[in-house]
Amino acid sequence: MSGAGRRDIVIVGAGVNGLVAAGLLAKAGFRPLVVERRAAVGGTAVTEEFHPGFRASMVATTAGPILPTIARELELRRHSFDPIRPAVRTFAPSADGRALLLFEDPSRTAAELAAFSKKDADRFLQFHASLSAIGGLLAPLLSTTPPRIDRPGGGDVLRFGRLGRSFRALPKRDAWRLLRWGPMAVADFAAEWFESEPLRAVISARGVAGCFAGPWSAGTTANLLLAAAADPHSGGAGGFVRGGMGKLSDALAAAARAAGAEIRTGAEVVSVRVVKGAAAGVVLSGGEEIPAGAVVSSADPKTTFLRLVDPAEQDPDFLSNVSNLRSTGTAAMLHFALSGLPDFRALAGKDAAGALAGRIHIGTEVDEIERAYDAAKYGELSPRPYCEASIPSLSDPGLAPAGRHVLSVRAQYAPFALKSGGWNERRRELEDAVVRLVSEHAPNWKSLIVGSRVLTPPDLEATYGMTGGHIHHLEHSLDQVFTMRPLLGWARYRTPIAGLYLCGSGTHPGGGMTGANGANAAREIVRDRKRRT
Amino acid sequence: MNKRYDVVVIGGGHNGLVHAAYLARAGKKVLVLERRHIVGGAAITEEVFPGFHFSVASYVVSLLRPEIIRELDLPRHGLEILPLDGTFTPMENGDYLWRVNDHAKTRREIARHSKVDAEAYEEYGKAMIEMGRFVKPILSLTPPDPTSLDPRGLWELLKIGRRFQKLRPEDQQNQVQLMTMSAVDFLDRWFETDVLKATMAASGIIGTFLGVRSPGTAYVLLHHYMGEIDGAFRSWGFARGGTGAISEAIAAAAREAGVEIRTEAPIAQIRVRSGRATGVVLEDGEEIDAAVVSSSVDPRLTFLKMIGRKELPDDFVEDLERYKFRGSSGKVNLALDGLPEFRSLPGAGQHLRGAISISPSIEYMERAYDDAKYGHFSRRPYMDVVIPSLTDPSIAPPGKHVMSCFVQYAPYHLKEGHWDDQREAFGDAVIDALALHAPNIRNHILHRQVLTPLDIERVFGLTEGNIFQGELTLEQLFFLRPAPGWAQYRTPIRGLYMCGAATHPGGGIMGAPGRNAASILLQDSKRRRA
Repeated sequence: MSGAGRRDIVIVGAGVNGLVAAGLLAKAGFRPLVVERRAAVGGTAVTEEFHPGFRASMVATTAGPILPTIARELELRRHSFDPIRPAVRTFAPSADGRALLLFEDPSRTAAELAAFSKKDADRFLQFHASLSAIGGLLAPLLSTTPPRIDRPGGGDVLRFGRLGRSFRALPKRDAWRLLRWGPMAVADFAAEWFESEPLRAVISARGVAGCFAGPWSAGTTANLLLAAAADPHSGGAGGFVRGGMGKLSDALAAAARAAGAEIRTGAEVVSVRVVKGAAAGVVLSGGEEIPAGAVVSSADPKTTFLRLVDPAEQDPDFLSNVSNLRSTGTAAMLHFALSGLPDFRALAGKDAAGALAGRIHIGTEVDEIERAYDAAKYGELSPRPYCEASIPSLSDPGLAPAGRHVLSVRAQYAPFALKSGGWNERRRELEDAVVRLVSEHAPNWKSLIVGSRVLTPPDLEATYGMTGGHIHHLEHSLDQVFTMRPLLGWARYRTPIAGLYLCGSGTHPGGGMTGANGANAAREIVRDRKRRT
Repeated sequence: MNKRYDVVVIGGGHNGLVHAAYLARAGKKVLVLERRHIVGGAAITEEVFPGFHFSVASYVVSLLRPEIIRELDLPRHGLEILPLDGTFTPMENGDYLWRVNDHAKTRREIARHSKVDAEAYEEYGKAMIEMGRFVKPILSLTPPDPTSLDPRGLWELLKIGRRFQKLRPEDQQNQVQLMTMSAVDFLDRWFETDVLKATMAASGIIGTFLGVRSPGTAYVLLHHYMGEIDGAFRSWGFARGGTGAISEAIAAAAREAGVEIRTEAPIAQIRVRSGRATGVVLEDGEEIDAAVVSSSVDPRLTFLKMIGRKELPDDFVEDLERYKFRGSSGKVNLALDGLPEFRSLPGAGQHLRGAISISPSIEYMERAYDDAKYGHFSRRPYMDVVIPSLTDPSIAPPGKHVMSCFVQYAPYHLKEGHWDDQREAFGDAVIDALALHAPNIRNHILHRQVLTPLDIERVFGLTEGNIFQGELTLEQLFFLRPAPGWAQYRTPIRGLYMCGAATHPGGGIMGAPGRNAASILLQDSKRRRA
């Protein structure tokens, strides 16, 4: 079947959210066509060979947050989605050479913490419980279409009422906490709970992951709470996928196809055709036109409105608001092919392979992370970036040749636009900084490196298409969440163009591979389209 | 001597005085107790050097609620506001930006930097006035408790929601962005000129431990426009005779209403009997009975020093300990025998009669903040400088001047050393930063008074030197100020109220906390009698 005929729905982009939307729309009886620019599906959730014999999840590395409801509904396990949950969530080497370990099992974490602080050990389970309670309250929000607070309708009042009721059902103490924590700096939040610096740094980092904000920036606690809504665990980001993140995308694609969706790769959408204010189809780079009843864009809002839709068809105020959205990427991805497992000093005499199986947090103090952020504010490269590393080949040996390993790093902060010099001259500088930093904790690792790949924010933009190379499409900040994501009045997956929808990370609930954006958008589209027939 | 008062007010700052005046006008027998020898708290004028009268701490009037001016008839009691026109911002490249109240003039000036910005400035001003109209009624509102089931509180929240819905979509967008964005991010949406954004953003960080790029700082940009709506007064001004004259006028109004004011009466303890405040004990042991005690000092002093943990619920104590002060500013007062000569605009022109803002670029502002984040005073600080003697010659000897420099950042907690050893180094940094723009300043300094945050704490009783009695950050505003569940001026101790800047709507010479608290107190006492 060629793509020539008219489609009921065309989805732009086969990233996680595009595929989730496709699967759910197909299950609802539509025949969506997904059009993907790249040769492989997955968007930023892809496994690629970056060095002969070595494969890595190139951008997104965490499969933990994919909403269980979505995984169930699309029967991802039947499509060979195989999540891996290491027993250790986070390993953080401290400045004085000790190992801070956060486990899947919080009571093990608490026991481990006693070596750092008796008080922190005592508080940890309380912290875990509180985060779980609030995460539990927020979790349904992820699958909720933000209400219209500008002009609420009857359904919105009902939804608000339900929200209010579950808020009031919280213990009063937790209700106040929720109100107070949201706008706080995550560094203050961490300090309220704990006294040991390495633990504060680990917790703070979760509030700035992928963001152009430092732990002392107000509102970063909200990011942590949002992450907790998808994965209400005290130990940091969750596990991996066997075969890398690409396997998640493959499973989503298989599920979508099985439900009746069609996916075309290597087909770049260059414009969304608008006729009389309504989306009428898409045009591919070769000139081919695909007429459609509705177009769903999983691309970021800036790409969608500033590049794909003719400005003449749009309200200039709306366009100016879109161009003011903040989407400056400051996270870079680095992948290293290693001839062996690095020896972390802090793990001498311990079960190193077990400790390194989760996330490796490199950033021993809150202020060190903050200083890394400071550099980016002035368009400079952090000389000591904050790094979240992982060695997925430990639990998934298939990613590297036998006995060898892959080490992936998300390094912050690497601003999209450098004040001096271009990224092409300075890519190496970033790599050197990361290598140096990891060497402080694992001196032998440099000699193990046999190959590497560095993806700066401009690389991420060029390869994966996110404006500004921002891994969350739009900055996660108080002014760009929930009813304000991407813009107040347009947070319900619909756009000023009738029949054009958004379903990517630039919508509620933001980035982070939950798939919720795609599922929420699909639900709204079904509601609109069903109503018409 | 053992008279019994209806209300004893702790602290004779402007909020304590406003509070007392309203209570007395409603028939209460009120005593105000002030630790220092003069009333006014941080709003005082003192002759620091012979012949030179300084508004030692707070130095401009901007937000004093017009209803208070009207209801307490402050002009009759001697309040006279003199104009403070414009903001002059010298730049590092030898140019300057000079904004004045005359819109046409400002427009031309901004156009010199950017034509687009000159257009946007008009639009921006209009939008901000709209926003100010929305926010203004919230200032005099008692914050509702969103966790309670009290329908009145919910009704108040609903009313705010309703008013929000009535805004035009672009104003709704502005409003939510003002509440959540950083000053720089917000201004980026409107303007391209760096110095314009830097100097406007400066008003967002005054008194806070935040930088111009910190989310939550955009909101304060509104304050500048609030004055314009009030109409009665200019947005910014000096009180004739210095800031102390405001306190004097409020004190006079209070006395006329029957308030008794005692200075040099420091309080050691608030007397609590079975969960109820029954009076106060002075440091010299004197006991004063009162049916109600109302404290205008900050909650740490009120509860942890004057009452003590064991009388208080654990949760409340925990919240108080978490309440952030983090003083971040200092003050340098200079007695001059001549005027500064700015390299970028020489001469003793009108630009010296307004505010002189040392905020030449966003990067300058942000780097000043970075120093403070890691526990150092800014090597190149942001400064808001005024020379009130140009407008009000009575405060300095003939031909001489007083110059007031509000300086940020000066963190209360230094990473190294102690403020008592760093005071002069800090003063030197201030003069150095000024001299970059006005090199002759060094030759004209007769005397210099340097107030570090530690000094501000010692002299004015402001914990950690925070000029607003606690950070004005989102998590410490409205129904969260000063503590969750205790934002309605009442406290866990029966018969004890809070009426200072640590309550909604916070610091600045506004008087709103004192007035709002008075209405709650009177409401409660009516209910008790009924």
